[in-house]
Amino acid sequence: MVSATIDNREISVPEGTTILEAAQKAGIDIPTLCHHKRLPPIGSCNMCIVEINGNTKPVNSCNSPVEEGMKVATDTKALHEQRVVNLKKILKHHALDCPICDKAGECDLQDVVYRLGVTDAPFEPRENPRIAEYSTSLIRYWPERCILCQRCVTACNAIKGIGAIDIKSDGDDGQIVVVDADKCKSCGECLFVCPTGALTENLSRYKGRPWLENRVETTCTYCGCGCQLQLKVMDNRVIGVTTDVDRGVNQGSLCVKGRFGYEFIGDENRLTTPLIKENGEFREASWDEALDLTAQKFSSIKEESGPDSIAGLTSAKCTNEENYLFQKFMRAVIGTNNVDHCARL
Amino acid sequence: MAEGKTITLNMGPHHPATHGVLRVEVELDGEIIVKATPYIGYLHRGIEKLAESKNYQQAIPLSDRLDYASASANNMGYCTAVEKLMGIEVPKRAQYLRVIMAELARIMGHHLWIGTHALDIGAMTVIFYAFRDREMIMDINEEIAGYRLTPTFFRIGGVAADTTPDFIKKVREFVKWFPKALQGYHTLLTENKIWTTRTMGIGPISAKDAINAGLTGPSLRGSGVAYDIRKAFPYSSYDDFDFKIPVGEKGDVYDRYLVRMEEFAQSIKIIDQAIENLPEGPVAIDSPWITNPDLVSVQTDISELARRFVLHTKGPVGPDKEVYHAVEGAKGELGFYLVGDGTEHPFRMKVRSPCFYLASALPRLLVGHMIADAIAIIGSIDVVLGEIDR
Ligand code: SF4
Ligand code: SF4
Ligand code: SF4
Repeated sequence: MVSATIDNREISVPEGTTILEAAQKAGIDIPTLCHHKRLPPIGSCNMCIVEINGNTKPVNSCNSPVEEGMKVATDTKALHEQRVVNLKKILKHHALDCPICDKAGECDLQDVVYRLGVTDAPFEPRENPRIAEYSTSLIRYWPERCILCQRCVTACNAIKGIGAIDIKSDGDDGQIVVVDADKCKSCGECLFVCPTGALTENLSRYKGRPWLENRVETTCTYCGCGCQLQLKVMDNRVIGVTTDVDRGVNQGSLCVKGRFGYEFIGDENRLTTPLIKENGEFREASWDEALDLTAQKFSSIKEESGPDSIAGLTSAKCTNEENYLFQKFMRAVIGTNNVDHCARL
Repeated sequence: MAEGKTITLNMGPHHPATHGVLRVEVELDGEIIVKATPYIGYLHRGIEKLAESKNYQQAIPLSDRLDYASASANNMGYCTAVEKLMGIEVPKRAQYLRVIMAELARIMGHHLWIGTHALDIGAMTVIFYAFRDREMIMDINEEIAGYRLTPTFFRIGGVAADTTPDFIKKVREFVKWFPKALQGYHTLLTENKIWTTRTMGIGPISAKDAINAGLTGPSLRGSGVAYDIRKAFPYSSYDDFDFKIPVGEKGDVYDRYLVRMEEFAQSIKIIDQAIENLPEGPVAIDSPWITNPDLVSVQTDISELARRFVLHTKGPVGPDKEVYHAVEGAKGELGFYLVGDGTEHPFRMKVRSPCFYLASALPRLLVGHMIADAIAIIGSIDVVLGEIDR
């Protein structure tokens, strides 16, 4: 354990803890933009600067460990001014997009601008506009909203180990570029960590605003992992999926199905009643009728050709208990070992 | 009726003379009240609870709906409390405009009181004159805020808009006109034999009892206690103005009447000074954490645009701290106890409503009087149920 003081508060933390983590633990909120709980320190936004031992040259608290006896100040006038300067650099070419930006209302950048009370950051267009290109068609990259925090690149590398995207820097400026679109799994990890509206989801674009949506906590229905997610609901329709880093085994991550495969929920072509095929045509039926017919057909097939003429294929969308019951039904009621599983969706 | 047998009678909650949905259960021995119990809660709208889910700016209209007869005076209480919480100093011009609006609201509240109070006792004419003059204030409200009864003209950090030439003109007209109208009210009531008989010596409360019962405002001053928050703890530049605190002697219905009649005149005096000496300058503070960026700058400046978004979708953030702040509302000490928790909402807002204490004093005011006097007494404490039930 090492002891130090942060803003005159005594703290004691395990060796190797960063100043930022120690401050957060002590309830001191240092502004950040590129720091993310799931990611290793990036240190690109320079918001989390602090003064150590009265030294006026500030250091980034996200990647400096606490050292014994250190005296840290997180909120001096000089630090505030420096933060504003750093933030204005980030804002210089930032598109005036809030009114049409899907992130507006829960945008980390907006929040930091408000928190620091930044004024007077007039928009200057870029001489060479950035290029809007991305590794997957499910996500749209809005280059003029990108603050080059590198969370997306870090997530693709550190969480997914894929490296489909990278940052191309160009002096003071730069942008996100696609390294290998074929490698991209469309998992949306980059979308999830992006603090701004620079990465937005294509399917739900412009469909809702964070303060109007209802967020419904639920579990993903695709497989048995049980990832936690929140459905964004507007006017009783699911318009998107989001996650929370603090909830569930998935800690905010999802696969392509969980994150983007929600449109079926409100699809017009979904079946709402059982259908029975008669003379080559489907007709709507009640559950009682459909189940009776199925039971009757199973019995007659079993009578005519024996139980092994029937096979059962179950689904990864079912729970373990349901799958157990299903194989039990096949073995004990039908009397066959022909049971299989789609294993994946 | 057999000796010693009493009957119980419900006055309200739909009785025109209980001034809103107040129910008073009175026990009568003949015509004499031997016990009185006020029941409240019929107008509960959960205003305190609602304020916890609204941001600090959004809760202002809720405060209009406390004592809706003098809405701007409640704005004054709520906004100054939030400003104390956030440590905001409001520009002088805004302070003066607030004083004008709050004093107009006091007059409006007293208009409703004099009209209905006199009507209850049988003097029907007064309400027509009172409402004629109240209409002029409604027009002023409409001119500057767009709304007549509940103008919601105050904002955290100032007021919603600057004056218009018509506003100044209308206020001056009213200041000039109203003393004459007030003289008219006096002619109708002050020396009217029926009025004095119905009010003198009715429902008296001593200064000590009034203080013990937590009475404030005109009802306390009627008993001779010169306590007025505008003088005792001046806020919003009240110490710039020359005005008196009228007090009564006996604390009966008639004295409370006289106090309010004089308050009409004092309020006009304050408004006159404020409108004639209205300082130049902004009508709201300019703070990146509170002021809404204007619609021109947001088109060229991302920091303004982003802050405007945050201020609209989330609201201004308050500190993690608690304050109590009280102002002199039309009915008495209107206090707001705010517990901030470092977010855009108060963790708790408690309203210290003067009317609640006035209604609680009803049992001791009513007992021993005739049932017909109950009407005069309830009218004289001037309760508005929107503020009691909240
Ligand atoms: S990323 Fe944030 S600041 Fe930028 S346009 Fe979108 S909401 Fe506005
Ligand atoms: S969607 Fe997944 S794989 Fe593709 S770039 Fe984003 S993080 Fe990498
Ligand atoms: S796309 Fe988003 S996460 Fe990636 S660098 Fe830009 S702002 Fe940061």
